[in-house]
Amino acid sequence: MASSAAILLVGLGGAGCAMVTRLSAQLPAEVAMALLDTDARALSGGGPGGTLQLGRAQTRGMGTGGEAALGLASAEAEEPALRRLFAGVPVVVLVTGLGGGTGSGAASVVAGFAAECGATVLSFATMPFSHEGERRMRQANDATVKLGQKCHGLVVVHNDLLLQQVTPDAPLSESFAAADKWVGGALRGIASAFAPGALIAADPAVLKSLLATPGSPTLFAFGVGQGEGAAMKAARAACDCPLAHAPGTVAKVASLFVTVAGGTAMTSTEAFEAVGAVRTRFGGETSTILCARIDPALGDRIEVAVLGASLPTPKAPAKPKKGGKVEDPAQPIFEFATEESMRRGLFGGTPMTFIDGQDVDVPAYIRKAVRLPPAP
Amino acid sequence: MTSKPLPSLIAVIDVGTHKTASLLGQIIDGKARMLSFSERRTDGVVKGTVTDLEKLTQCVHEVVNDIERGSGRAVEQVYLSLSGPAAEGERVKGFVAVPAHDGKITAKDVSDAIQSAKRLEPPEGRATILYMRQPTMLDNRPVTNPVGMAGKRLEVNFWRVTMEEGNMRMRVGMVNGMSIKVRDFILASHAAACATASDADKQGVLVIDIGAGTTDWILYYKEHILCAGSIPVGGEHLTNDLSVALRISRETAEDLKLRFGSAMHRENDVNQTIWKDGDKGVGDQQFNRGTITQVLSLRYQETIEFVRKDVLRRLEAIFPGHAVKLDQNMIPSGVILTGGSANLADAAEAVQSVMGLTARVGIPKFENESLRKPEYAGVVGLMAAAITDAPPPVRRPRGFLAQLKELFRL
Repeated sequence: MASSAAILLVGLGGAGCAMVTRLSAQLPAEVAMALLDTDARALSGGGPGGTLQLGRAQTRGMGTGGEAALGLASAEAEEPALRRLFAGVPVVVLVTGLGGGTGSGAASVVAGFAAECGATVLSFATMPFSHEGERRMRQANDATVKLGQKCHGLVVVHNDLLLQQVTPDAPLSESFAAADKWVGGALRGIASAFAPGALIAADPAVLKSLLATPGSPTLFAFGVGQGEGAAMKAARAACDCPLAHAPGTVAKVASLFVTVAGGTAMTSTEAFEAVGAVRTRFGGETSTILCARIDPALGDRIEVAVLGASLPTPKAPAKPKKGGKVEDPAQPIFEFATEESMRRGLFGGTPMTFIDGQDVDVPAYIRKAVRLPPAP
Repeated sequence: MTSKPLPSLIAVIDVGTHKTASLLGQIIDGKARMLSFSERRTDGVVKGTVTDLEKLTQCVHEVVNDIERGSGRAVEQVYLSLSGPAAEGERVKGFVAVPAHDGKITAKDVSDAIQSAKRLEPPEGRATILYMRQPTMLDNRPVTNPVGMAGKRLEVNFWRVTMEEGNMRMRVGMVNGMSIKVRDFILASHAAACATASDADKQGVLVIDIGAGTTDWILYYKEHILCAGSIPVGGEHLTNDLSVALRISRETAEDLKLRFGSAMHRENDVNQTIWKDGDKGVGDQQFNRGTITQVLSLRYQETIEFVRKDVLRRLEAIFPGHAVKLDQNMIPSGVILTGGSANLADAAEAVQSVMGLTARVGIPKFENESLRKPEYAGVVGLMAAAITDAPPPVRRPRGFLAQLKELFRL
């Protein structure tokens, strides 16, 4: 299923597939899509792109029932098909929900295959709600650590954070819409940067050099502005993006990749102003790659997407050879800022303490999904 | 508890997550006179669990050295506080069926019942640390002293605290390393209660000791300990929540917590802007006070809610099938708050709103004014508990010379 598209968007597991399906309508044509799941029924409706059922022998199309080990075995069993899927694709964006069986188990395997096929792998992983209990949280924590070692960039989206974005009486679908907006915006930004016709273009190799170091913390933010001063509004919204403010995420990074998209009225001054504001907030001293694009459909709206990475250690890891495994599993070279340090702050690294199925070291306001008053 | 008579010199050590405090007192006529006090920052304890034994041992040795140097007396044995989820409590019962022909309870019946209660083995791998007396029941009626009374079935109850064997050996070893004996363990929440609650309060009072790493609570009913428990959440969680929410260091968060924090979030707080340093100079930062009180109040009230649930859960285990209500009828003296986090502004008000009981911050009763603060209820209470829990001393006539000898014994 080798494709000529610059970006392959892969939805993995129930949550991942659902998100990709929801996003498919708003993505440019340069993005190819694929859905991977163990549940045959979930895939039976087809999808925006190709579908691949994992673990036909392991789960017989019944899903994993929350067993990560089963998800892992299911993905490993489909190695040839997965490698065919990733062959020749420069950028793979993996979207998955951690906590369940397919996402938690298969994510690191799928990301590993994609990386070995030569793709730059950027993963968006959602973490379960605090109320989903101990088992799913532990499973998701383990999965982020494994996934972080396999892919080039990892952005963790906390479901608790989503609840904070909406009023308490809003329907659940609205909070998921927030996640769709962020991830969709990032994909649109990245995809269109590579597409012909961009005002200031970049090529997929740029993303590769930015995310060259697997395991370095990935920064991600997205903002939209409208009307007068739209660019600055968008930049400020990106600076205030809850994903960039999620506890434990990196505050400043060495390299930034900023895409600015706007309607025909957008001026270059505006675009550079926005980039300047983003740089003030997030750093990007070593290099800032700017992409700008005109999309008449946006009207007077301007979207700013930010992707950033730090290069934590000077020692670069040996690049994985095609089809060969070079990492020594006993000695991970880099470690992501995992769930541990991200939400548990000073308690990162200590054993989790559960009361009523919630990890009580995670701040109460996050678990209760209370939106805090704005900063002065 | 221990049946040994009270020594004239009592040393207590309260090992907390944040600080380790030690107090040495001379016992004169059943009252403690402070000889020396020491307090040091604890190292090697996280959330009430020992993570670095070496550092903690060093810390304990330092406070013992301090009180020895401060008083010029040698410490031979200490009372250690016991807090956190490592010490787990449960009610144990012992029965005796009184022979029908005479029906009068003898002292032997009582001791047999106690024996049968204490014969119950603790769970595998755990050691019994202490027994605390609960009401004695004669034919399902509480009695103070059943000896000589008529009845058919005598029941004695204890609140038994057990601890994982390795953990207990570790704590004892920590002190033994400097040739000092552990005379006894005292439940930290019990100590806090002894320092702050009067005998009248103990008709019905819930004492909540919010330390840095754990929140320990104990419930007294009709002068006895009914049950006790611990929640692995404390003041450090308040600081952590604030440091995560505002993306500031632990030190700054701790400082803001003390200066601007509150256990109650009021709508008006949102309109207040506060400065981190106050000099508005370079590096000073502005924060919304509403954020601070919102974050802290959510955590504080949640912690108290955890305590409320834990109390109910344990009461249900003791009285299965009874709908127990935590109200002013059962707990007339309400809640007494102790520990460092009792100092947070509006703490009593927050507890009152969650528990539905009157609440007050407990100030330990002690001769020395510098220790009359809620954070010292633990260490002051250890001394008080060591005195009250000991059996009455055997009175022996002491001459002037004997007292003089005692005074100069080093």
